[in-house]
Amino acid sequence: MYFQVKDVQQYQQNKEFIDTAIVPLVYLDFAEDKMVKSSSDVEFLMSLTSFIEQQFKGRLMLIPPFSYTESTRSEQVVPILKKNIQEGGFKHVIFITCDHYWTNLQKEVDVIWLPAIPIESMDKDVKKRILEEQLKQVIPVLTSKWTQQ
Amino acid sequence: MVNKKVSRRQFLNYTLTGVGGFMAAGMLMPMLRFAIDPALQVKAEGDFILTSQKIADLTDVPVRVDFTYEQVDAWYKSEVSEMAWVYKEGDRIVALSPVCKHLGCTVNWEGDRPNEYFCACHGGRYEKNGKNIPGTPPTGPLDEYEVSEKDGYLMLGKKIPNTLV
Repeated sequence: MYFQVKDVQQYQQNKEFIDTAIVPLVYLDFAEDKMVKSSSDVEFLMSLTSFIEQQFKGRLMLIPPFSYTESTRSEQVVPILKKNIQEGGFKHVIFITCDHYWTNLQKEVDVIWLPAIPIESMDKDVKKRILEEQLKQVIPVLTSKWTQQ
Repeated sequence: MVNKKVSRRQFLNYTLTGVGGFMAAGMLMPMLRFAIDPALQVKAEGDFILTSQKIADLTDVPVRVDFTYEQVDAWYKSEVSEMAWVYKEGDRIVALSPVCKHLGCTVNWEGDRPNEYFCACHGGRYEKNGKNIPGTPPTGPLDEYEVSEKDGYLMLGKKIPNTLV
């Protein structure tokens, strides 16, 4: 599900089934030489998270990306964000990012870090295959969360 | 030679009727065109989408067939990828939508038990023809796609309620 009126209404009626929130952590860099790389990372992460959403629509909600720059990146904010989302009824909050910085936080929050793959120049089928491969990295994390309880 | 003089009045009459006629035609033609427009629309083969799946390669085991189409939502154009589980039942080709009838996850063939579709989200199960197995969360059978063929390749059309169950 997406963070959209229709989906949120459905979520509120089916809270017992939709117990997971996925939050993309998106690093923005506006330096002349890094902006392209930054946008490429974002494009990859957005495509991947939409793909995850499509596969697990009925169990998770894809939260709009949490974006930050180097100076607004803060270790304190993410655990609070997690807490707030949990208060909304999501049992599991999983952050997904291409920014290595967040792996430090792995003890406090669930972070899936994936190296970005520049998919923007790829042909449709190759792109799809890559995203499927990446999805396979994410599925075990989700299922281990779901079977824990 | 007969020298027939056209009077100023006649000349003006002719030109004005001529020009007026063109202007009236210019206005009426698009109106007429709009009025009969629905009849002129070309139906793109009944909205069927060509896939890369050869009909001859289909068996009685469901295979995944991917297809994409373009969706325009206001100013936002996006390419939508969908897929179907396709198998042959005798001579009939069956294409099922993988969208779980519970809350919309994507179901997999033999994801958990043999000869069943399985939804990883809440353990929904369906038989091969899309019939939901009682006691699991889904409340109805999987939808079906209309099927067609072009040059030996499979074409998929609109989603319709399951006709097999």
